[in-house]
Amino acid sequence: MILNVIQRSLRQSSHLIPVEALLENCKGSRMPDVQPERLTADIASCVVAACPTGALATEDFNGRKCLRLSYGHCIGCGGCVEVGNGALVPATSFRWTGVSKEQLVRRWDLDRRVEMTDETPQPEAVRTEVQRLLGRALNIRQLDAGSCNGCEAEITALTNPYYDLERFGIHFVASPKHADMLLVTGPVTRNMTEAVRATYEAVPAPKLVVAVGACGCSGGLFAGSHAVAGAVDAVIPVDRYIPGCPPTPSMILSGILEVLGRRGLK
Amino acid sequence: MNENLQAMQLPRESENQRAPFSIPRLADGAPARLVTLFGRLGPDGQKHVRYVFDVGTPEYFEIEIPADGPIASIVPQTPAAAWFERELHDQFGIEIQGHPDLRPLVFHDNWPDNVHPLVDDVKDVPWAHRDYSFLEVQGEGITEVAVGPVHAGIIEPGHFRFSVVGDSVLYLELRHFYTHKGTERLFQGRPADAGAMLAESVSGDNCFAHAVAYCQAVEKACGAVAPARAAALRLIGLELERLICHISDFGGLCTDVGFIVGAALATRVKEDLLQASTRCCGRRYWRAAATPGGLRLDWDSTAIASLAQAVEASVREFRELAHIVLETPSIQNRFEGAGILQKTVAHDLAIVGVVARASGMDLDVRRDHPYGHYRLLETPVPVLNYGDVMARARIRVEEVNASARLIRETAGALPAGPVLVPVQYGANFSGASAVESPRGELFYLVEGSEGLLTRCHIKSPSFQNWPAMPFAVAENMIADFPLINKSFNLSYSGCDR
Repeated sequence: MILNVIQRSLRQSSHLIPVEALLENCKGSRMPDVQPERLTADIASCVVAACPTGALATEDFNGRKCLRLSYGHCIGCGGCVEVGNGALVPATSFRWTGVSKEQLVRRWDLDRRVEMTDETPQPEAVRTEVQRLLGRALNIRQLDAGSCNGCEAEITALTNPYYDLERFGIHFVASPKHADMLLVTGPVTRNMTEAVRATYEAVPAPKLVVAVGACGCSGGLFAGSHAVAGAVDAVIPVDRYIPGCPPTPSMILSGILEVLGRRGLK
Repeated sequence: MNENLQAMQLPRESENQRAPFSIPRLADGAPARLVTLFGRLGPDGQKHVRYVFDVGTPEYFEIEIPADGPIASIVPQTPAAAWFERELHDQFGIEIQGHPDLRPLVFHDNWPDNVHPLVDDVKDVPWAHRDYSFLEVQGEGITEVAVGPVHAGIIEPGHFRFSVVGDSVLYLELRHFYTHKGTERLFQGRPADAGAMLAESVSGDNCFAHAVAYCQAVEKACGAVAPARAAALRLIGLELERLICHISDFGGLCTDVGFIVGAALATRVKEDLLQASTRCCGRRYWRAAATPGGLRLDWDSTAIASLAQAVEASVREFRELAHIVLETPSIQNRFEGAGILQKTVAHDLAIVGVVARASGMDLDVRRDHPYGHYRLLETPVPVLNYGDVMARARIRVEEVNASARLIRETAGALPAGPVLVPVQYGANFSGASAVESPRGELFYLVEGSEGLLTRCHIKSPSFQNWPAMPFAVAENMIADFPLINKSFNLSYSGCDR
């Protein structure tokens, strides 16, 4: 019998997806993107009305009227794509993963029909010490703070032969005491609040916290529930965010590499 | 030790304890299976409790009683009602007389005693500190092992309190609802049209089953019927979800006995299916697809045909893998006789899904209460009597084969036509529907008026099956708990909502 198993293993070819094919890949994520040349004020108000989580909003920014899209709030319901008349389309590539909260937000000028560039400087300091200490290895402790298990299913996929997180020197560990990074999913429920704080305390410094999924980033559909304390950053400090509902394994992997400053890495 | 174990005995019918109504019976005289029970408010704001039973007919049987005052517990006659009545007590503040254990279930130490979210205002509920006492097993050499809520792995949170003697588990007490998100309350006030996305987030890996159950309940409430093409595509989505879930569970069983080759192969086959779904249908898990009245999008027949082809190829690989795994003596040694759930316990607790079918209960919503496209097809229902980890593994393998066949047959004769009909919401609407999710019978009730929801009750199979876990674990060694737990594969979020 064991010979059958060995034989079978040897017959398998490699399924590993090269890292170049994973970065910015968001197939199957249902994340939206904007075609600014088709954007009008009317379409903007339609898509804002269709958005169930407030991910889309119109606002004045630097004196210009603009459409604001916060990926941290987006659950990929596709409502905006249905009413957006071609101005909102499913994204074909996605790089807003593993970024700061400000970087999750994009804005488009409604008069000039162009994306407004973000001039706020990108915070860098958090990651440097961890990177210096760790070199290329990273231990991750995944923490479910109340998720629906959609994010867990996709995080688990990172260990399958297609994504194989271990090739980057990144491991999932059992104890927060062994971890460098907490990967936190879900809105933090009231019942998990104490456990989330205790887990955070148990991770030795320097530590990174990454919030995963719409619920982790913003509370998603559960924001404001009587049984929910809030998004992850309402309870513990968060360094970086990986949006999506759920984010695909490619997006999670890209996000982790982005946090580590290793996106350029082959 | 026997005295200690009596704490685990299910309460039995006693003469001085009367149910508020006589429990319906099947044709052969056996008591009917409890599907769910839940509270709701009448038009005048009065509390009512509705009990739903499976009496062996395609339609479920419902009884409703007023509950403005205390009501009598049905637990002595129907032990399966235990958690439901505790939830009712927490959520509606209904006093239940004669219940053997009315400790808080849904809300933990931080929740004040006097706030019941489905009847009270829940704005700015203060944080409280109240006590919770675990059932204590006393005796020489007995040790308590507390596990969770944060587990050693990528697992949802829940607390397990084992009382062990040496390696052997005497008693396991569950404390769940760490992922309770107040979902039923969140439905209230939402447009019925926009409810499916919330249903999808009740249990992420069964998102499509939840969405379809919700949509069918709304359709029933409003007299709408999803078009034939939508019904067929829903079947494909539901069976694909079942395949992915079962294959993933089978891989998990391999992981928990250290059979890494099997585990790796299963995760790969699962990923193949998710990638095929992405290629053909634009989504890995089928979120944002179902809506009341049908589906929000259609796929052309080539896409569905290539999905069906991918399913065939994956299932062929999985079958080969399952054969190797189940014929390996060291695996048989671990699976056989581990975590036995007796048929009598399964009956008393009204267990559903794979776990029930592995313990000799012959039930499946697809066959017993057919819905949508299942009305046109024959669904085989595998049943085994051993009730152990092996039986649950074998049921999953059988069901993977059956799902692949259902997908092939449906994709091969996909009806033409639209995938969506408009739903007309009346002044008041109310409807219920059940779906066989990968974990078992999933029941939704929706009520609303003028297109807005006023109540949504979700009976998830995990809520129903968790209370059986302690019975399957007792007398096993504690090191086998992860394996037994995986063989049940219950959702924490689905249970906690």
